[in-house]
Amino acid sequence: MTLKKADKILILFLMALSLFLIFPLLKNAPEADVASVYVKNEKVLSIDLGRDDTYEVEGTNGAVVIEVQDHKIRVTQENSPHHLCSRQGFVSSPNTPIVCLPNETVVQIEGDTQEDTVIQ
Amino acid sequence: MKTSKMIEMAFLVACGIVLQIVESFLPTSWILPGFKLGFANIVGLFAWKRYGVGSMWTVNLTRVFLASLLQGTLFSVAFWLSLSGSLCSMLMMSIGIRTRWFSIFGISILGAAFHSVGQVLMVTWIYQQYFMQLFLPILLALSIVSGLLIGLLTQLLIQRWKGRTV
Repeated sequence: MTLKKADKILILFLMALSLFLIFPLLKNAPEADVASVYVKNEKVLSIDLGRDDTYEVEGTNGAVVIEVQDHKIRVTQENSPHHLCSRQGFVSSPNTPIVCLPNETVVQIEGDTQEDTVIQ
Repeated sequence: MKTSKMIEMAFLVACGIVLQIVESFLPTSWILPGFKLGFANIVGLFAWKRYGVGSMWTVNLTRVFLASLLQGTLFSVAFWLSLSGSLCSMLMMSIGIRTRWFSIFGISILGAAFHSVGQVLMVTWIYQQYFMQLFLPILLALSIVSGLLIGLLTQLLIQRWKGRTV
């Protein structure tokens, strides 16, 4: 196994290239775990799901209280006839937003919606 | 084309098909999606050393078409990925051969590296998603190893082949 000089340069170049490429690509990696809160179709809040906390936004009927726990999110308090969105409980998938129609508020986890199956 | 060359190239294509199909049984993609050792390129490199660049293109392109026909993936996503990878790698190998700088190891590494580049480009184009590009640096680093391995295997094959005919 005898490598020519150009071979060695090529190997070193590829090593350097892969090292150089990995940093800008990692920086642009899609960030997971962000939820957005929309009121009347306007984004009012962006929530980091990595941090357990409670948030409050102003809906149509008053305050909507949102709680984050263990990468899951739920609505704890709001003013509406049936309290559907607080009864929905914790949500952790981008496929299931929390919708509070009387308050015109939507809590949506960002990210690619996962498919159930792929049919080919 | 001489008959002996035609027969030899047909044998090379057949070996390439077998290598490609056998390689698809190897579960290397759990290491990294898209990672392959590229055994099938052995016949391409061998055809280049024996008959020149044109034969490498013939053997590799025929091999890609026939192997996917036998696997039942002709014109599916896997086929286009495979085709774009081989086209990209053969283009760069031809350029590398033309410059006369590289030995068979350099050509093999060039082919392996640009096979992954071509595949990543095709994945990005088909799925319109950029996640595969995250793997590109790792694929490039691994292609150095697999390219050296394939180059070594081809050199051993050429040494043993010397003076023989089909």
